[in-house]
Formats: sequence, structure tokens, C-alpha cells
Amino acid sequence: MNIVWTVLGIIGVYIYGVFLMGLGRKISARVQLRYGPPVYQNYIDILKLWTKKTNISHGIMFDLGPVFLLTGSIGTLLLIPIAATEQLMYFGFSGDIIVIMYLMVFGSLGFALAASQGANPFGIMGISRALTLLAAYELPFILGIVILMMDANSASLSNIISHQAGGYMNWYIFKQPLAAIPAFIALLGMMGKQPFDIPIAPQEIATGPMAEFGGKYLGMMMSSHAIFMTAKYILFVNLFLGGAGNPINMIFKVFLIWLFPLFVGLVYPRFKTSQAVRFFWGVPSLIGLIGLIIHWLR
Amino acid sequence: MINAKPVKIFFGPQHPGITGNMMIELDLNGETIVKAKTHIGYLHRGFEKLMERRTYLQNFTIVSRICVPEPDINEQVYAMAIEKLAGIEIPERAKYIRVLVLEMARLVSYIMWSGGHAASMGLYTLTQWAFADRDYLIDLFEELSGARIYHMYIWPGGVRRDLPANWTDKLLDTIKYIEKRLNDYDKIFFENAIFIKRAKGVGIVNPVKARERGIVGPVLRGSGIKEDVRKNNPYEVYNKLDINVITETGGDVYARAMVRRREMQQSINIIRQIVRDLPTGAFYKRPFDNPFNFKIDKNHTYQKIESARGEYGYFVASDGTDKPERVHVRGPGFVHAFTLLENLLIGNKLSDVPIILTSLGICPPEIER
Repeated sequence: MNIVWTVLGIIGVYIYGVFLMGLGRKISARVQLRYGPPVYQNYIDILKLWTKKTNISHGIMFDLGPVFLLTGSIGTLLLIPIAATEQLMYFGFSGDIIVIMYLMVFGSLGFALAASQGANPFGIMGISRALTLLAAYELPFILGIVILMMDANSASLSNIISHQAGGYMNWYIFKQPLAAIPAFIALLGMMGKQPFDIPIAPQEIATGPMAEFGGKYLGMMMSSHAIFMTAKYILFVNLFLGGAGNPINMIFKVFLIWLFPLFVGLVYPRFKTSQAVRFFWGVPSLIGLIGLIIHWLR
Repeated sequence: MINAKPVKIFFGPQHPGITGNMMIELDLNGETIVKAKTHIGYLHRGFEKLMERRTYLQNFTIVSRICVPEPDINEQVYAMAIEKLAGIEIPERAKYIRVLVLEMARLVSYIMWSGGHAASMGLYTLTQWAFADRDYLIDLFEELSGARIYHMYIWPGGVRRDLPANWTDKLLDTIKYIEKRLNDYDKIFFENAIFIKRAKGVGIVNPVKARERGIVGPVLRGSGIKEDVRKNNPYEVYNKLDINVITETGGDVYARAMVRRREMQQSINIIRQIVRDLPTGAFYKRPFDNPFNFKIDKNHTYQKIESARGEYGYFVASDGTDKPERVHVRGPGFVHAFTLLENLLIGNKLSDVPIILTSLGICPPEIER
């Protein structure tokens, strides 16, 4: 029965992720005084892209790139508990946070190889920007997580969740604000919205790595984006908002965090790559470092 | 630093960051620009040549198409040239209405520019707001002239129609709304920390070199030089209005943006002054008996006005027939897109290309007439 729940969980996250993408377009449209596309527009888009035939290929790595992305997304999701029920805890083990952090990079690295084989200069520039940004936001993110691991005295996600049990004042977002602030700022970078949409930046590098991918590849990338985005939100709910007892609770909490990058993205223009790196390695990392030292001294 | 062979990037003509139908050939070392070259030729429709085989009045349908974001300046400067050549005097009320239309056009153009400038940094919210707010002014143009973009409203001898009833009240209401919205623009864009961080110190125009290279408009005023045709060489009724030449000292993208932002407010003030002082009387004095036989003796003239992008001039030569012998358009885009842009880009990053491009206010159709 476990395999059925796993597949259902992945499909549920996929559907919810695509819904959030559509809702995001609608909310942005309303902020921008537009009517906007219907909420279900992204389902239609993805369905259309999956049915398209793809004739152009730039080699075997190019074909595998979107697959890597999807694998990385689903792999990350499988280690993250969706809800604290027996069936949806998936494949957690002691030390799974380290593996999650590795798997979160896996997709991007695989995709970097694919985009490089595409030989489009904009794609290569976008990939180099994406990897620079990755190195930039990983630092505050890891600092935040290390504080949590020290507090829970464990590198297991389920232990961290159980440490936050007993009322919302026990959630790490309130109990460890010096870990939450850098991690949530890093979340802005992970989501790739303004001010950190540097890797795709349409006005500068014409959507960068995505420029060469179309049809089924693009559909696969959009699907993996939906899953990966939601997986990261679920991870943050587990890390800072005390996880969820049931999937409905999780859907609600994910929605709450999802609003944060959306609204920040609507009112800020884009950073330059160097400015983004300086930003992440500046104040957020410093806050994380101070939190780490305070925690260590106690 | 690795001495690799530079990568050649063709920025345009099909690129989201370009402001029109033109292309910049960039040699990049990493993301740093080592050489930039502007290419045009994607938009040539031969306006100047077309005008030589049409009558003076038929040409009004062509001149307004030379610059899409701001068509009225073309009508104005072409009408001024014809009036100068044929010795036509226009009524006082017509002069006021012309200035009113020109300042509205300037405001429309600046609002559209602020949207484009925000988009070049990825802030699409202001882009959508700006294009929505611009529509309110375009609605007024439609009521005034019957057309939304290409008005063909300014005409030798005055303007084509009088102001409709209650139109000025609607205009004042719209202006009040726009003024309120400009505060929102400030909050989201002009005072935005990231905008200031990205725009300050980028694309600095040296005031001495700017003079030498014939740079005009907000780009020149952003470098601290007081140069405005409305003040230095007033046409129509600008000498009767209270206007200042707005300058900033930075010379960078930020300074140019702030010049434009403050000029938006000034345009609003000018529109209010005109509505207050608008004289009664005729709006049009027919300068010819038969428009199909409107001939001008052999002569030539150069007329210039201040557009939203800088000094904008027409050279018109007549040869005694009903068609101009030669019309030459001198727009600010030519100098800005070639000598200035190619020099400014060197040493900057690829991320700075779209913001420098929009801050110079380049309009490709006026480069290729």
C-alpha cells in the first residue's frame, strides 16, 4: 500500500503546484490592474506541452537535462514528509536533511550540463548565473538549517518536526528567529522570482537556459518546477512551521509561505548577479552566523 | 583574468530587452562588454523620400508615424516649418492648444517610458500600471482629435478642431489622478532601494563630451547642463509660461530617470497653467484658399522643438511647387544610439544593457526615416 500513497502524494503535490502557479499569475495580474489568465491556465499549458512532438535535439545530455530536473524534484519530494501520517512520511531516515540539501542541487547541476550542450550563449550565461546564485543563497540557508539541527540535536527531518510539537510558539520560526530570517531570505533566491530572477532575466539574456527548450522538454521543466517549488515550501513548513498533522493543514501552510516570495517579487526590480551575491553573503549570512554563535555559546 | 576570445552576442532585433527594431552587436568577455556596435535597417520605410512626392498637407499622415511613442512633436515641428516657409500667423488660442497637446504628449511619453524602464529591470507591476494610466490620457486625445495615437491634430494655421465642451474639466480630473498615481510610481520604482542600487553610477555621461557629441534632452540635463529648447529658444507660448529647466548632477541612469520624473510633474503644472490662461477666440485661421493647390515659394528652414527625448528638428526646403523639395528629420535617437550608446556600454555588464538603452530614450524609427 505504501507505493500507492507515495504515487498519490507526488500527484497531489504536482496538481497543487500547478494550481499555485496559475493562482500566482492571477494574483500578479490583479496587482498589476490586469484581468489575468484563468487559474487553470497552467494545467492547459502543461497538457499542451506534453502532447507536443520534439524534433530538435542537441545531444544526449540535452535530452537528459529536463529528466534530471524532474528526477531531482521528485527525489527531493520523496524525502520530505508531506504530513505527519504514517503513509505520507515517505523515506525519511536519520540524516535525511543532508541528502535533501544535496538533491536540491542535483537537478540544477544536471540541467546545467544540458543547457551547456545547447550551445546558446544566453543559455550558458543563464546557467553560470544560476550556479552563482545557488552558491550565494546556499550559505544563509545552510546556516539556518545548521542552527535547527543543533537545536534538535539531530539531522533527521522527522526529529526536527517532533521537536516543534505542542503549540505554535514551539515552531522554529518563533523559537529560532535567527535561523528563520536567513532561511526565508534564501527562500526568495530559491524561488527565482524578482529580485532574484537573475538566471532567466528576459530583458538581459532572453530567458537564458530555457531559450533552447521547447515542447515536451518545456512541459517537463514546467512540471518539475511545480513539484520542486511545492517541495521546497513543504520543506520550509516542516522546518519552521512545525510540519502538518494532515494534508489539508499542509496545503494551508504552504499557501501562507508561498505568498511571501510572490508579493516580494511584485514590488522589486531585479538585482545584478554581483549585487545578489553580495546581498546573500551580507546581512542574512551575518544574522545566521550570529544565531549560530549564540546557540553554540548557550 | 582569463584572456578568452570574446563571445559575440546579437542583442536584438528579436530580444525582449531591446527598445525597438534595432540591434546591438556585443562582444562579451564573460558578461563584461568589450565592444558594442549598433545596427539599424530593420525599420526603414523611407519617410523622407515619401514626403517629397506628396503635398504639404498629405504629409501630415506620414510625419506622425516617424515616432510612435510621441507622434505630436512631428506634427508640431512640421507645421512650424510650413508656417515659417509660407509666412503664416496662427491665432493665440491655437498656440495655447498646441502647447497643451504637446505637454499631454510629453506626459504620455514619459509615463510609457517609466513603464519601459521598470520592465528593463524586471519590475512588471509598474509597466502594467503605466500602460493603464497612459490610456486615460489617450482617451482624452481620442475625444479631442478622433484618434488615439496618431492624432494629426496640429495643422498649418492652428489646430483642426476646437476643444470639445467640458473637455478641460475632464483633463483636469485626469491630471489630478495621474498626479496621485505618480506618488505610487515613486513608492514602487523611483524610490525603490534596488532601483537606486542598480541605476546609480551606471552609464555615466560626461557633460563635456556630451556637448561635443550633440547629446540632447534628459540625457544632457541629467549631466547637469541647462539645455531645453522650451526655455532657451521658446516656440508658441512657452515664453509666457512658468517653466524651469530641470537638471540633475549624476549623469548616470538614476539622474536621467529623476530628470524625467520631475519633468512629468512639470508637464502637469504646465497643463494647469494653460487651462487657467486659455484665451478665447479662433482656434484656426485658414491660410490657403484651395488646400489642393497650396504652393510655397523657394525657401528653406530648420525648426526645432523639445520632445520628451530631447531637441527634435526638421529641415524643410520648398521649391515653389505644392510638394516639399526635401524634408530632413533630426531626432535625438541618432546620436544617442550610435556615438553615445556604443561608448557607454563598454565596460558595463550585460545586465546593464537594457537599463542604459531605455535611459537614453532611443526611438529607432527616427533613426531610419
